[in-house]
Amino acid sequence: MHKIWLIIKREYLTKVRKKTFILSTILLPVLYLALIFGSSYISGKTGKQLQIAVIDSSGYFTPEKITMANMQDSSNILHHVTSSPAEFGKTLEKSNYDGYVVIPANANWETGLPNLALNTNRTIGMESSFGIQKKMNSIWTNIKNEKLGIDANRKRIMETSTVTVSPKNIRDKNANSGIATLIGIVSGILIYIILMIYGSQVMMGVMEEKTNRIAEVIVSSVKPFQLMLGKIVGIGLVAFTQILIWISFILIIYNVTNIGSTTSMDGVIGQIQNVFTSTNIPLVLFCFTFYLMGGFFFYSSMFAAMGSAVNEDMREAQSLSIPLMMPIIFSMTMIGAVLKDPTGPIAVWGSIIPFTSPIIMMARIPFGVPGTVPWWQLGLSMTILIAGFIFTTWFAGKIYRTGILMYGKKPSWKEMIKWAMRKN
Amino acid sequence: MNIIEVHNLKKYFATQKAVDDISLEIPRGSIFGLLGPNGAGKTTLIRMITGIFYPDAGEIILKGKKFDPENDAKYIGYMPEERGLYKKMKIGEQALYLAQLKGLSRSDAMYKIKDWFKRFEMESWWNKKVEDLSKGMQQKLQFVITVLHEPKLIILDEPFSGLDPVNSNLIKDEIFNLAKNGATIIFSTHRMEQVEEICDHIALVNKGNKILDGTVREIKQEFKENLFSIGIDEMPTALDAAPFEVVSNKAHSHIVRIKDDNKPNDVLQYLLQKNVAIHSFNEMLPSLNDIFIKLVEGTPTARQFQKVTS
Repeated sequence: MHKIWLIIKREYLTKVRKKTFILSTILLPVLYLALIFGSSYISGKTGKQLQIAVIDSSGYFTPEKITMANMQDSSNILHHVTSSPAEFGKTLEKSNYDGYVVIPANANWETGLPNLALNTNRTIGMESSFGIQKKMNSIWTNIKNEKLGIDANRKRIMETSTVTVSPKNIRDKNANSGIATLIGIVSGILIYIILMIYGSQVMMGVMEEKTNRIAEVIVSSVKPFQLMLGKIVGIGLVAFTQILIWISFILIIYNVTNIGSTTSMDGVIGQIQNVFTSTNIPLVLFCFTFYLMGGFFFYSSMFAAMGSAVNEDMREAQSLSIPLMMPIIFSMTMIGAVLKDPTGPIAVWGSIIPFTSPIIMMARIPFGVPGTVPWWQLGLSMTILIAGFIFTTWFAGKIYRTGILMYGKKPSWKEMIKWAMRKN
Repeated sequence: MNIIEVHNLKKYFATQKAVDDISLEIPRGSIFGLLGPNGAGKTTLIRMITGIFYPDAGEIILKGKKFDPENDAKYIGYMPEERGLYKKMKIGEQALYLAQLKGLSRSDAMYKIKDWFKRFEMESWWNKKVEDLSKGMQQKLQFVITVLHEPKLIILDEPFSGLDPVNSNLIKDEIFNLAKNGATIIFSTHRMEQVEEICDHIALVNKGNKILDGTVREIKQEFKENLFSIGIDEMPTALDAAPFEVVSNKAHSHIVRIKDDNKPNDVLQYLLQKNVAIHSFNEMLPSLNDIFIKLVEGTPTARQFQKVTS
């Protein structure tokens, strides 16, 4: 035990003192936020304001109505133009307009307009054409309201009187599916990132020990299994440290914003407080830690086995690790379906099978225990994950023991299974 | 008393009988040379003795008891042929870590590392990284790490490769020193001149089999061809009934082979009777190199792969 402790300590200290650890701890959340806000900022900015000519032959789309619509929504600008469609089409390129819409003379307010063509010289994105469609529809609604004699008061009633449906779990009064979805996604992504980054770190570390022949020196004083376990636990603790730092970041930011609360921040704080009241935070945090560590141990021992099987060649390592990464990536693609229906068969099975349970179960837990996830499912999932990582560690340990001292050509999957099955 | 004995050790790989029924006895305090051409099975044999590989068959007896790799590791110091060090780790920390893995306490390890570093003039290296060292410097560090925990059995795989003569001598002296203090040293090499200089016992393996073992003296006696070099100005021309035949003639030095049933004294007597002035008379023992080549000769230079059926 003493020797494993030494290995863990070395592994942990060398990793934590590295510049890359400090940088990634700081930069990853920053990059993550930049990605989220940046992409929404960019997509909000890039929509170009289109100048569209409306050639009206029906008399419904009067210049006044168009001007009013432009005042309400300036994402695209409509212009009332009197010209013949054929003529206008020819001169479109030289004009200042991006495109034109022709309202046919036979338009009828009771039956609606047929599909209108937005004629342009270049292909316009779906988003822009939706914007124009929305604007044309609002003008058309105004026309209908006028014809039907609906005044401003009636219009207000029509617009504000609506029905909304929101989910409410009668067994779990505090459940809030919006916040649950958010927590589910965030913890799913975090576990995904940790599994990917630290899993491959385990693999690279094992490869380093093999190619530098350190394994040969160390294996003559400790068992290969101890060396592997020490490495995995050491790197696991590094991952855990990083997560702890991030969680304390969040708590500090929360407290700081709480003290200096200005009116603009009230909304945000309200939401965060909402998170704290609507979710069982201690349980979620416990489960998050459990599934993060469980998933890490489940996968990293296999990453270690892969690392022990290959030689210097990075490409070999990559091709061997693809089958390992597949279930992790697959869990991420499942997460959408799970969040939509957290009690459906995909969600239940995904959260019990240990290959996907770390991510899938973590996506479900914020929806409420035992409201969405019955206790027996949580218990079963945890038990299977623990059994799973004991099995993979044992299995990987056997591959590792042979692989770490084997030089030469890359072994096939069949050979590796043979190593694992061999007695002693 | 033997520090280590191996009996009928076997290790087969898919395409090689790497070690095929080897038995050895290594006396305590000896410097034992394990010789053999490339691919003879030396490293595999060593890896079994160090507990890295499990033998397929046979047993290893360390200090009179069955070898238990986990608990006996502290008695063994192993230096692999290719250097095994963390490139990015500081040298002092690395030595401390590896010594602790061998079972030394932190303070003990620290004391011994300081001592060795001083003796090898490596004190300024403490905070350097291994990647900053030259190959020879890494070799020195690796040697220190191997012997730091005062193992009873030290196994060195090609310890002198990459060392300049000064550092070679430094390590050679340390090897003698360690042996004098009771450690047993096994070293594997294919450099015969070093073996002759250092080892008292040797074993020669080829194709997974042991083909020779014993003390250097015994082996030389066994393979001697009764050759003597005689320093005389001129060999008498008529050699009737001489107890020897002349192998080669050079000015002032003549090599002769003594005939069976004759002794060196017979040669001297014969020459004295002939009234020849003798300057020198030396037995010419074969060098290990000659023996090695003679024994290994005829086997293909590169070991062939074979199907293993067992």
